[in-house]
Amino acid sequence: MAVAVSRGIGLGRPSWKANADIILTVLVARLKIISRYKGLLVMEAFLPIVFAAFPLMLGIAIGGENAGANFMTNTGATADYKMFMLLGACTFTVVTLMMWLIGYWVRREQETGTLESLYLAPAKRFYVLAGVTTYAFLRSMLVFFIALLLGSLLFQVNPFGGNIGLAMLFVAAGFFPLWGIGFIFGAFILKIKEANSVIQMVQWIVAFLMGIYYPITFFPSYLQYVAASFPPTIMNDGIRSSMLGIGYIFGSDWWVSFALLLALSLFLPLLGYQIFMATERRLKRKEGVGQY
Amino acid sequence: MSEPIIRAEHVAKTFISKERKKGAKKKKAVEALKDVSLDIHDGEFFGLLGPNGAGKTTLIKCLTTLLIPDSGSMSINGFDVLKEEDKVRASIGCMLMGDRGLYWKLTGRENLNYFGALYHVPKAARTKRNDYLIDLLELTDFVDRTVETYSSGQKMILAFAKSLVSDAPILILDEPTVTMDVPTARKLRAILKELHHQGKTILYTTHLMHEAEELCQRVGIIDKGQIIALGSPGELKAAMKREDIIDIEGVFPGHVVEDVRALSGVASVAVKAEDGGRSKLSIQCANSRIMLPRIIERIVGNGATIEYVKPQEVTLEDVFMARTGRSLAVDTRVVAAPEVKAGGGGG
Repeated sequence: MAVAVSRGIGLGRPSWKANADIILTVLVARLKIISRYKGLLVMEAFLPIVFAAFPLMLGIAIGGENAGANFMTNTGATADYKMFMLLGACTFTVVTLMMWLIGYWVRREQETGTLESLYLAPAKRFYVLAGVTTYAFLRSMLVFFIALLLGSLLFQVNPFGGNIGLAMLFVAAGFFPLWGIGFIFGAFILKIKEANSVIQMVQWIVAFLMGIYYPITFFPSYLQYVAASFPPTIMNDGIRSSMLGIGYIFGSDWWVSFALLLALSLFLPLLGYQIFMATERRLKRKEGVGQY
Repeated sequence: MSEPIIRAEHVAKTFISKERKKGAKKKKAVEALKDVSLDIHDGEFFGLLGPNGAGKTTLIKCLTTLLIPDSGSMSINGFDVLKEEDKVRASIGCMLMGDRGLYWKLTGRENLNYFGALYHVPKAARTKRNDYLIDLLELTDFVDRTVETYSSGQKMILAFAKSLVSDAPILILDEPTVTMDVPTARKLRAILKELHHQGKTILYTTHLMHEAEELCQRVGIIDKGQIIALGSPGELKAAMKREDIIDIEGVFPGHVVEDVRALSGVASVAVKAEDGGRSKLSIQCANSRIMLPRIIERIVGNGATIEYVKPQEVTLEDVFMARTGRSLAVDTRVVAAPEVKAGGGGG
C-alpha cells in the first residue's frame, strides 16, 4: 500500500532518555496520587505488624516461655521466632502489595478510561509498567521498613542484629522477578477484568508458599520444590536467613539463592512482558483493552 | 487534491457478543464494519457522521491501534497501522472518550505533563508546549487544581488540550463538544479551524450536523458498518433530489399564490391559513438561495405583507434520512442511553 504523505510526529523525540523519562514521570505521578489520599501509607504500615501478631500471640499462648526453644527444636531454624515471623510478614507485605497495586492499577485504569489513553500514546507498555512497578516496589518497601521498625519495638526484637547489607541485596535481587510476576498478574487482570477476588485468592496462596510463619521444610517434598521455585519464597528466605544468620533454602551458601534470584531476574520480566503483550494482542482482536 | 494521509482499505470487524436470555447464553455475531474503504487527504478536515452503533467508533479504534480489524489494511502518516503501531500513535493526537481518560487526582497541568512524557516530548519542550496550550485554551483559572474539582466542560477542554500535547500532525476527535456549553464549544470550533488552517489533518466525528457543516471540508456518513455517503457537504446536499423549502408568513391577497406558483424554479406552493387573516406559504423550489429574492419581489409587488421568512435548505440530516430512511437525531437518542456506563475518575 503506497501512501506517500508523512508529516513527522510533532514534538515527540523517541530515545532511551525519553523512555527513562516515561518511567520517572509515571512513578512521580503515582506517588503524587497516593500522597493525595491522606494517611494511607501510615495505615498500610500496620498491616504486616497485625499479620505477624496473630501467630506470635498464638505461639506465646501455646509455647509460653518455651516458645522460642520449641520453635528452634521443631524447625531447626532459629529460636528468635518473633523476628522470623515479623520478617516473613514484612516480606509478604512487599510481595502482596506489589501484586495488589499492579493488579488494581490495571483494573482502575480500565474502569476510568485512562488505560485507553495510555494505549493511544506511543510509549511502550514496558516503560509504563516499569514506572508503575517501581512505584509499587517503593511504596511496599517503605511499608516494609516502617513495619519492621515499629514491629521490632512492639515485639522487642532487634532488627539490626544480622547481615543487613546482604538482606538488602536479596531485596534488590527480588525486585526484578517481582516485576515479571507483576506483568503476568496485570495481564491476567486485563483478561478477566476483575481484580479483587483474584488478589484475595492469590495472596493466601502466596503467603502459604512463601512460608511467612514457618520454614518451607515443613512441606511435603514435592511442595517444597514448588515453593522453592517461587521467587518470593527465595527472596523471603534470603532476607530472613541473612538477618537471622541461619541457613538458606539451598544450603548454607547465600550465593546459591542469590544466583537463582538473579537468573530469575533476567527471565521473569521478559516472560511477564511477553505474556502481557500476548494478552493485549488477543484483547485487541476481540473487544479492545478498554472494555470493562 | 493532495495525497491521502489516512487510508483504510476493505476494513472489516465483527464482534462476538453473548446474549443472555432466561439463563441461556447464546453467541451473536455483530458486523461493526463491513468492507470500509476511506481516504482522508493531507490537511483535510474530515467529518465522520453517523448515529451511535453505526461503526464510527469501531473504525476510529481500528485506525488508532486500539482494535485489530478482522481484515483489511490501514495506514496513517505513511505508517502501516498494523505493523508500525508506535509510529502511528506518535502521529496522532486523540480525544476519544470525552472527559474520561484523565487522572482525577492530578492537576490539569500534571495531566498534560504526564501525557506529554508518554508522547516522548522532551521535558523542556513539554513545559513550553503546556504553557502555550494553557494560554490558548484559557485553562489558567483551573489548570493547577486537581481534575476531580472540574466541571464537565472543563474536563472536556482539558481532554482536548491533552490531544494537542505532542503537536501531532493528525487529530482524531470523537464528539469533542458533546458536554461543552455553547461558548466553550464555539471557542473549540474556532481553535479547530485555526489548527486546520495551520495544516493539521483532522478526523472529526459528530452527530451535530451544524458542526459538520461549519467545520468539515468533506464528510463520510456511516451506517450499519458501511460508508453510505462520501463527499463535501455541498456535494452531498446537491446530489439530493429534494427541493429546498421556504416558509413565508404574512397577509397575502388571493392571486399571490398563483403568481408565485407561476415563477420558473418553483415546484409547488402549499398554503396554510393562520390567525387574523394571515397565511403561511411553504414554497418548494430548486435552490432557495437563488429563488428567495425573486419570490419576495413577486409577493411584495402584489401588495402582500411579509412578517416572517424562513428558508429551509437541505441539510446533512436530510441526506442521512434520504439514504437510510431514519433520522440521525432519533437514532442517537434511542441508542445512546444504554451505552452510558458508570465510571469514576482516574486515580
